[in-house]
Parts: sequence; C-alpha cells; structure tokens
Amino acid sequence: MRRTPYLLSVLSPALVAIVAVACPAQSPHWAYQPVQVRAVPATANPAWVRSPLDAWVLAAMEQNGLSPAPRTNRAAWLRRVTLDLTGVPPTPAEVAAFVADTDVDAEARAVDALLASPRCAERWTQWWLDLARYADSQGYEKDALRRTMWRYREWVIDAFLRDLPFDEFTIDQLAGDLLPGATDEQRLATAFHRQTMTNTEGGTDDEEFRCAAVIDRVSTTMGVWMGTTMGCAQCHDHKYDPFSQKEFFELFAIFDQTEDNDQPNDAPVLRVPSARQRATQKVLELELTALRSKWQADDAAVDRWAATARAGLLAFREARATSSVWHVLGPIAASDFHTAHATAFAPETEGVKLGADQQGLRWRDEPGYRDGKVHTWSGDNSAFYLHRTIHAEVAATAVLSLGSDDAIKVWWNGAEVLAKEVGRGAAADQELLSVALRPGDNELLLKITNGGGIGGFYFDLRASEFGREVAQALAMAPEACDDHARSLLRREYLARAPEFAELRTRITDAEKEFLANQGDPVPVLKELPPDKARTTRLHLRGSFLTPGMVVQPGTPACWPPMPADAPRNRLGFARWLVSRDNPLTARVQCNRVWAELFGAGLVTTSEDFGTQGEKPTHPELLDWLAADFMAHGWSFRHLLRTIVLSATYAQDSAASSAQREVDPQNRWLARGASFRLPAEMLRDQALAVSGLLHEQLGGPSVMPPQPDGVWMQLYSGEQWQNANGPDRYRRALYTFWRRTSPHPAMLVFDAQSREACVLKRQRTNTPLQALVVWNDPEFHEAALALAERVQSARDAGSNDVSSVRWLWQQCLLREPTVPERERVLELLREERRHFAADPAAVAAMVVGGREGAAELAAWAVVCGVVLNLDEFLTKR
Amino acid sequence: MPMQGPFYDGLAALQARRWFLQDSALSLGAFALPDLLGSDPTKRGRQIPPRAKNVIYLHMEGAPPTLDMFDRKPMLDRLSGQKCPEEFLDKERFAFIKGHPLLLGHPHGWIRAANGIEMCELFPHLAQQMGETTLVRSMFTDQFNHAPAELLMFTGAPRPGRPSMGGWVSYGLGSENGNLPAFVVMLSGGNLPSAGKALWGAGFLPSVHQGCEFRSQGDPVLYLQDPAGYDRARRERSLRALTDLNRAQEARTGDPETTARIAQYELAFRMQMSVPEAVDLASEPAEVHALYGTTPGETSLANNCLLARRLIERGVRFVQLFDSGWDIHGTNPSDDLMTQFPKKAQQLDRALAGLLIDLKRRGLLEETLVVWGGEFGRTPMNEERDGSKFLGRDHHPHCYSMLLAGGGMKRGAVIGATDELGYRVADNAIHVHDLQATLLHLLGVDHEQLTWRFQGRDFRLTDVAGKVRPELFA
Repeated sequence: MRRTPYLLSVLSPALVAIVAVACPAQSPHWAYQPVQVRAVPATANPAWVRSPLDAWVLAAMEQNGLSPAPRTNRAAWLRRVTLDLTGVPPTPAEVAAFVADTDVDAEARAVDALLASPRCAERWTQWWLDLARYADSQGYEKDALRRTMWRYREWVIDAFLRDLPFDEFTIDQLAGDLLPGATDEQRLATAFHRQTMTNTEGGTDDEEFRCAAVIDRVSTTMGVWMGTTMGCAQCHDHKYDPFSQKEFFELFAIFDQTEDNDQPNDAPVLRVPSARQRATQKVLELELTALRSKWQADDAAVDRWAATARAGLLAFREARATSSVWHVLGPIAASDFHTAHATAFAPETEGVKLGADQQGLRWRDEPGYRDGKVHTWSGDNSAFYLHRTIHAEVAATAVLSLGSDDAIKVWWNGAEVLAKEVGRGAAADQELLSVALRPGDNELLLKITNGGGIGGFYFDLRASEFGREVAQALAMAPEACDDHARSLLRREYLARAPEFAELRTRITDAEKEFLANQGDPVPVLKELPPDKARTTRLHLRGSFLTPGMVVQPGTPACWPPMPADAPRNRLGFARWLVSRDNPLTARVQCNRVWAELFGAGLVTTSEDFGTQGEKPTHPELLDWLAADFMAHGWSFRHLLRTIVLSATYAQDSAASSAQREVDPQNRWLARGASFRLPAEMLRDQALAVSGLLHEQLGGPSVMPPQPDGVWMQLYSGEQWQNANGPDRYRRALYTFWRRTSPHPAMLVFDAQSREACVLKRQRTNTPLQALVVWNDPEFHEAALALAERVQSARDAGSNDVSSVRWLWQQCLLREPTVPERERVLELLREERRHFAADPAAVAAMVVGGREGAAELAAWAVVCGVVLNLDEFLTKR
Repeated sequence: MPMQGPFYDGLAALQARRWFLQDSALSLGAFALPDLLGSDPTKRGRQIPPRAKNVIYLHMEGAPPTLDMFDRKPMLDRLSGQKCPEEFLDKERFAFIKGHPLLLGHPHGWIRAANGIEMCELFPHLAQQMGETTLVRSMFTDQFNHAPAELLMFTGAPRPGRPSMGGWVSYGLGSENGNLPAFVVMLSGGNLPSAGKALWGAGFLPSVHQGCEFRSQGDPVLYLQDPAGYDRARRERSLRALTDLNRAQEARTGDPETTARIAQYELAFRMQMSVPEAVDLASEPAEVHALYGTTPGETSLANNCLLARRLIERGVRFVQLFDSGWDIHGTNPSDDLMTQFPKKAQQLDRALAGLLIDLKRRGLLEETLVVWGGEFGRTPMNEERDGSKFLGRDHHPHCYSMLLAGGGMKRGAVIGATDELGYRVADNAIHVHDLQATLLHLLGVDHEQLTWRFQGRDFRLTDVAGKVRPELFA
C-alpha cells in the first residue's frame, strides 16, 4: 500500500472535514450502531427452533433456500461439546451414561457439568492466552525468560473457574491497579498488558521500546475488545476507518502513564502469593511464633556470657599482637583454576622456606600490603602464597578478617583452618576465623588462587567478631552498663551463644521459606504518580523521535463518548469499553466465541469489524447474542451454554457435495461445524485417550520433550530440560512458551510466536502436520500407551474384534463399521506376521522386550493409525 | 508453468473446489485454506518476465567487514592510527565505540580479482570468480544493532512480526517440487542469528510459508524420521490402512479437508524419502567435495552451499543460509581481524567460489540468483572497546558491500562507491528496501503488488518504500 504523504497527514483533520462535506453521508458503519434487539422472526419450521438463536439461523437458511441438517447422534454431540467446552474428549463411559440418560434436560445437565469443570477453565484460558500474547519470555533479540508469568495464567484460569463476568474480567486486566481498594489479585490481572516485549539488547533506547510496548497495548486492546485494527493510524490517519492519527495518540495517552519503561528486570513487579503459597506462609508464621518464644535469655546467662567475652578482649589487649611484613610467593600457574587451588605446592609440602627457592620462585617482602585494605595482582589460574608471623606476649584469642579473589586456604600455626574454592572479588570480612594466639610467634600462611583477570586479598587482625558498639559495651564495667548497652549485649548473646545454634538455624530456615513463599515477582501495570505524569505527544510519521502536538487521553469520535465525569485514565477507559452503550465489545466477544465453536465467526473477519472487514452473515443474531450476553451479566458460561444447547450447534456436519457447492464455507449454518482441532487440543486428546494425561490445575510452565537443537541459545545458558515425571504429560497450555522458540509441534499446527496479539489463528493442512502426529515421540509414546491399554482391557471373553471395538470407542466414541474393523484387523495380522519375523523391530519399539512385546508392537502400529485418523484429528 | 508445490495446491482432488476459491482468493485472509491451496501462486506473484527462478541467499551473520574484503581505501591505509575526522562523530551513535576513535587500515594484503578490483588476499578462490558477480559497494541500512538490522534485511521492518523474504517468495511463487518445501533455511557457524527464527518466519502469512529449517544434526526436517521400530514397509502398510480408513470418512462426510489430509499424508510419506535423498552429501563425487571443501556429516557453510545447490536442482525456490561468527569487534582473538576474520574467510572462500563454479557448469547459474552479504557494514575506525589491543571494527549502518551473481545480474560489474575513508556512500546509494524490490523483480514479482491484508492494511516486503534498481541487472 502507499503511505499517506506526510503533508497530507499533517493537514488531515481539515481534509477529513472537507472530504466529509464532499461525500454525502453514507449510512453509518453497521458495527458502530448500538446493539439492537429485534423481534424474533417467524420460520416455517418452529419445531426445530429451540431459542431465538435458532430462529435467526433458520430464517437465514430459509431465505437462502436451505434447511437444517439432521441432529447429529448423541455420542457425536457429546464429543463435540466436550471438546469445545473442555478441550479434552469424553470417555466411553461418559458417552454411555449420557446416551442412556433420556431425560429432556440431559443435555443441559451435561453442559452444566462441563462448564463447571476445571478443564473448561483450562480450555478457555488457552483461548485467551493467544489474545493476551502470553509468553514465558521477553521477546526481541535476547528473549530472556520470564519465569514468573504463569501467575498471570493462573489468574485467568481462576477467572474462568469462577465465571468472572467479562466486564470485570476486562476492568481487572486493563486497570485492576486503579480500582479503589484494589486487591493483589486485581493488580496481578494487569500483567495482561505486561505481556508486551522487553528489549534488553545493548545500545537500544528504552524510550523507543517503551513506546513500542504502549503502541502494542493500544493495538491489542482495540483488536481484542473493539475488533478494530488501529495499527495504521499510528503513522497517519486511517485509510479506511474513521480514525485520525491524533485519535490513535489519544488512546496512546491513556496507556502512556504507567511506570514500566523497557527495563531488563521488567519493573515494576508485584509479589502475590498463590493460594498454596499463602497456606504455607500461614503454617510458617505459626511455627516462627513458637520458635521465637523459645529464643529468650535470662539476665544471669547474658552476664555470664559477657564476662567471658570481656575477659577475651582484655586478653587480646594484653597480648599486644604485632605482625611481621607479608612474604609473598607467586604466581604459580596451573592448567586451570581448580588445579591451582587444589595442588599442594612447595610451601604446603615443605613448609615455608623464606630464604630458599620454592617452586622455582623466591619469597619477596611486600611492605606495601597494609592491613585493612584490598591488595591486588594478576595471573590467571595461579596460586599466591602469603606468609607472616604474628607475635603475642600472652595467650589470647583473635579473629582474622579475610577476603580473597578468588579461592582461599589458610593455615594457622601449621594447621589448615580454612579451604574454600570460590570465585569472587576480595572484600573485608568475607571470612572471619577465630584463632588462638599463643605466646611468642604465630605462623600464618594464606594461599590465594586467582581464576582470571584481577586477583587479590584482604587481611585484618581483630580482637573479636564483635562490632564496634558491642565492643564498647563490653569495655564498660558491668555495673556501668545502661539499658542500651545491656540490650546490645543480650542481642549479641542470643545471636552467638552456641546453646541457641540449632534454634537459630530453625528460625533462619523458616524465615527463608516464608520469603520464598511470598510469591514470584510478576510484571504489572503501575500508574506514575501525578507529579511524574508524561506529556503525550503525537509521533509524526509514527516515530517517537519526532514528537508532534500534545494530545490528551480520549476515545475516537466515531464511538459514544466516555461519560463526562469518568477519569481519563485506564480505569475510565476500561469501564467505557464494557459499558452497555459500547457497540463493539459484546459483539466482538460473542463473535469470537462463535468462531471458536463453529470455525468461523458470524463476522468471518473476527479480527476486523471495521469497514474493511466482512459484514455479519446474521446481523440480528449477532446483536441478539450480544444483548443476551450483557443482559446475563457478561457471563461467559451463559454465552457458551446458549450456543451449545442450540439446535444450530447440534446439527450433523456431514454434507453432500451438492450441499457443499451451495454453501462451501457453511456460512448459512445448515450443517454442523467440522474442523481440525487446534494444536493444543491435538496433544491433550492424544494424551487423554492413551491414559497418559496428567491433570493438574495451574502451576509454573513445563517443558515436555521437544527435539534436540530446537531451543538454540542466545546469550543465556537457559536450557530446555525435557520433563520426565508427570510434567511430561501436562495439558498443552502449560507448555513453556519462549517467543523466539515456541514448541515446534505447536508451530506446525498454526500456533504463532505471540510476539504480538494473535486475534485469529490461520488453519492450515500440511504434510509437516502429518509428520508430527506420525513421528513426534510424544504421539508415538501415546500410541504405545494406548496399545498397553488395549491389552489390559482384555479379559477372558476378549478377542481381536472386541479389542478393535474397544479402541474405536476409546478414541472415536463409536462402533467401527464392518469394513473399518476388517481393515484394521488386516493391518494387525500383517504387523503380527512382520514383527514375528523381526525381533529387532520389536525390541526397538518396545524397549525392554518383555513378554508379549511383539503383540504390543503390532497393536501400537494399529493405535498409531487411529491417532492419525482424520476423524480423530477433527471436531465434527 | 511450473508445477505447483504440495504445500500450495498440488492436490488434484481439490481442483473441484477451485470454482469457489476464485472469489475468496481476492479477499485473502477471510478463509485460510483457499489461500494455501492458492488459486494459482504464479498468477499472484508473477507480473514481470522473470530473470531468475531460484534464490540462494548467503547471510554472514554479525556483519562481515566488507571494507576489508572488497572496498580498498588507500587513504584509510595511509591515515591508519590517526584520529578519525570530527565530522564522523557528529550526532553519531555507535554500538560500542567511545571517545574519539582511530582510523584503522586494512591489516592484510590485497590481490587482483578477475573483475579487476583489488580484493583481500584471504579470498584467493573467490577472487577468481568475481567476473561472475555484481559487486555493490554502496549498500546502506537504518539499523545499527544486529537483530533490527537483520529483521529489516529479511522482513522489511526492524521489529519481529512480518513475513520473511523467503516467505513472501514462497507465497508469491510456490515450489517447483511436489516433495520438498519451497523455502529452506540452513545454519552454520554455531549460533542462531541474533533476530532468531523471525528471519525465516511466515509472520502473518499462513504458516506454510515459513522457512523449513533443514538441520545438519538429527533429522534434517523435524519429525521426519519414523519412530523406532518402523521401517519403510511398516510405515507404508500403516499409511495404506490410514488412507483406506480416511477414504471411508471422506465418503461419509464429503469433507474436502479430509481429501486434502489424505493427500498430505501421502506427501509426508514421500518427503520422508525425498528429503534424506536431497541432503545426502555422501553421494557427491570426491571432485565436488574438493571443489567446495566439504566433509559429509559436518555442520559448515561449505556443506550448506553444496546442499543449497542440491536443493535448487530439485526445485526448492528459496534457500537461505545463515553463517554466524562475522561480528568482528576486536575484543579478543575470537572476534578480531587477525585471527577470527581469516578463519571465517577460509570457511567462506572456497565454499562460495565452489558454489558459483558448480552452478555455472551445471547451467544453473543463469536461473539462480546468488546473494551474499551481511546486515550492515563495519566502521573504518578501530573499535578498541575497553582499550582492547585486538583489531576490530564496530557496527556501521552507513555503507557496506554485497555480492550478487547469476539470475540476470551483470557479470563482473561494480556498482556504487563509498567515500575515501569508507565511511559513507559517495555514489549510487542502495537501501535495503531497494535491494528487496530488485530481488523480487528479478523473480518476476512486482514488490508493490505482492501484498497481504493484515490489521486493516496491505503489507508487503518493502514496507512503504523500495525501488527496483535496474543498474544492478543485465
């Protein structure tokens, strides 16, 4: 397309006015008209009609000379509705129970049970995550991981579990933080708009990518709620729809006031404990109270301890310790850091010989190495020995304060008292060692081993480990101690007395665990304080580098205005989105849900309700649904229930070629929907029928197996760790989603990277998809597990025919036809024959080669075929 | 007319549906399957007589120092070690250079190439093939970091989300081989490009147009290999059973999707044979391995060059190679001009020369456009990050060289020029969008016509810019 010339975009408001005058008013765009409820039409077949929904559909059929398809059979209906509502198929037992239940309200009860199930919340969360562009990483070049984002996903699951009305669902996610008395959960919901990408590449302008995130928030909000594509208006006035660039930036202004600005740590963040974490914290609180009550000391114990400590300080003073100059030997290089640290060089094996050669080097004096300072040197993978004598006049205890870069060993009077292989920069007090000063000379030997770059050490000799204040308190005579000094001493005693060591450890551990359960930091929206509010300017030609006129927050003029008293911020805007006067939000949602169930919306361009989008096939029906949705408190469950209990939904999906010729895309709904299941459902279904599915509601993202080498690393050492345990078999919505590397099997089945909001997935049919279901080890594992189930389902009366019937019921929820049964048995016989002649193939397929492995292998091939059946992959 | 690929519309059974696709193909996006099956990709794509049928695009990830390869600057050599002119620093933002950097001349020798230019001595084989190429010395871009510059180069926009060049070509022209994808990507050098898989993504185009990554370790195509315990015969027997059962379903439902799925399974089965055959380098004679410098089983640019030729021969439309390790900053020997650059030069020199020779002698060079380049240039100044003593150059968007050959390009031509110090384009500046427009033009596609409606507007590879540059081709 051609861009609107720059000049035109600047002049545009005036031009738009001129054009508006020049072009006589066309009828206003249908989607911007208020939602209207019209009288339900009369039809020629009122017996078919179950609800106004059906009346509108039937009326349209009749206008097009069509009539409804027969109802699908009840087992097929239950499979359809169970997949649609929960994303997982029913079991044969559930189907049998349902088919046997002939009450008039059997369907309604089945639907209510499905809607109330946690699986339903998971399935519709899955749907919402595309719109929310949910991911477990930041996107852009480095695509660093966001390991805490799953907390937002839990919020969505919880919202669907309690059927949070869509208006509240909207407000919480767009502006939960601005609600009066906002709860932590409402703040957490705003992570919806923190799914924007963060660019941590060096040299990038944070403001550029902050603006990109705000633009994404505008585009996503308008796309998800208003079915409106505003991207073009970012650079110039919209070519087709009635938005000016200024109006785009008025919306931008609404989202422009949050604190986040493309920081690598995704600040601001919020820690909200999950329900499980909250429960753990409660237990820990009780435990800590109990432990702390035991951590008490009486005055006598404190006094006794203080007297000993005081004597120690006095002894040190009397010892008048004096240190010699440092003697240094090194660098002694080794092949690597560990070797340099661990190898005992001459000073360790022979003792320090100051006058002689050791390791081919000579000890040198370093008078410049003064106490209480860090001294440095260089030499990669090298050891340095430092030796000095410390003279004491009388026996006393002392404390060595040491620091090292990197590893350290210490010998005091010939005995090794410390060895630590660490990598770090040197600083005071990294190690505090209590040593006994004997009268006369004491020998101190240090070995400092440097890994790379700068190496060095720190040394100081102290009377005690006590801080200055405590040392001063101890210096006072006991009777001279005031309350402050006494309390200092008590605290020091409690912190150091060996009799409390175990208690202290338990308290520290409990405190640590309490902190660990305070919730992971989740990026959220947080409004800037008024004094830091940004001034929003239009970006000329869409570039943040060329700011134009100042704009105020507002909504486009083509829609009903925000109430005069509504705050011009995200909260006022979110309320405006879900006001009953808004012509789009309810229509767009109903249409999107419709598309999810029928494969295409009543507006087929579910992502675009603008003038370039398709007109609805059933405008009155869309309005009826929207009005009904709002009238029933924006309840998703009500909307889903209304649709799936209709006669329209229950039609058989088979059609003759003549019927398909009349309406190839089934826009007039004279038959049931059928389309290939989305990526996530394909996986979940295979796991479910094979008995592998591990159902666990919520929790962090998991890493089911994917081929080696897919997750190639950029900068970070983060690895894809194939889960082994139950996490290998979780539902697909829990699979870790890295934007630069989503699970490849999902991509093959049309999932997108979620770098931006995905308003509508394409639905393709390619050979690569066949390769996934055939060859992905996870699907193969499911085939093997299903074969095991075939075996274990056998009893004395079973034979191959009954096993094929079992398999058909398990996967397709119906009896096989005779030709189907015979064809499968033929394959089974062939495979048995070939496996019998080829034990190596049996051993390759059934690891372990146990009793009956050949039989299992033959069935696994049969099960593999069933998992690939078009009927299995398709919702009908 | 080329045969349409399976990924598009190679399904005879679907011909019957064509009548209703004619309309929907005009309103793309409304209904995915018809788009995929396409009414006819060649009609969609081809508006101009094509000069090239296929593309082999070699991208040197990290940006090679083309100043040191193809663009000798005697003035720069003379002033090497002196401070660069003040005006270089005016309002300039460098990725790493701080303070007032020093000019850096070419630290290696020069040799005379077949087209008469002076070329770096590290490329003796390529120098002999320069008579086949068009050297463009006046490329420039808008982006100075790897990921955005690569995205601009390959998707036309510096942020993720747009379809890639190969994706557009796949959408516009389809494949010529029923058993192989239209757009294949291969990697060497050890790292993914900075911008990752977005460089061969489908963006908002149907996902079938994303580049199919052929891997050099493990399955060449993901999930290509049958599970353990399957051999060809077993796979075929299970396929026959599957097809028979699906035919019954097709008869019951009358659903064309089922018909398509049956065909796709048949095709997948054939791909399991054709892909391993296509990537089997061991079947090449020793003389060919000597020509390219290839060793079967390795992951290398040379192997990928030879694979590219094999794929082009089999009708793959667009082969995209990425070779990492060209980010010559000079912070240590693994990214400097004295150690790393010669290493990369050695990996490239024989491989690219071999590819050109091989394509030519097989008569494939006429119809195959070979493109070589990076995402931007490198500064004529020494980077000296944190006082580094290793020689290297910082990112430089203002000018760089690219090499094109075959597919209607001029032979032995040199287009455009940089200034005396190689800092800016002095003559005939060619923007990334112009190159894209020109590449599409050579394939017979008008870059302004090949569009996809998304978020309310028609998108194209060249965004809102791009001019075909006729001076590049013969």
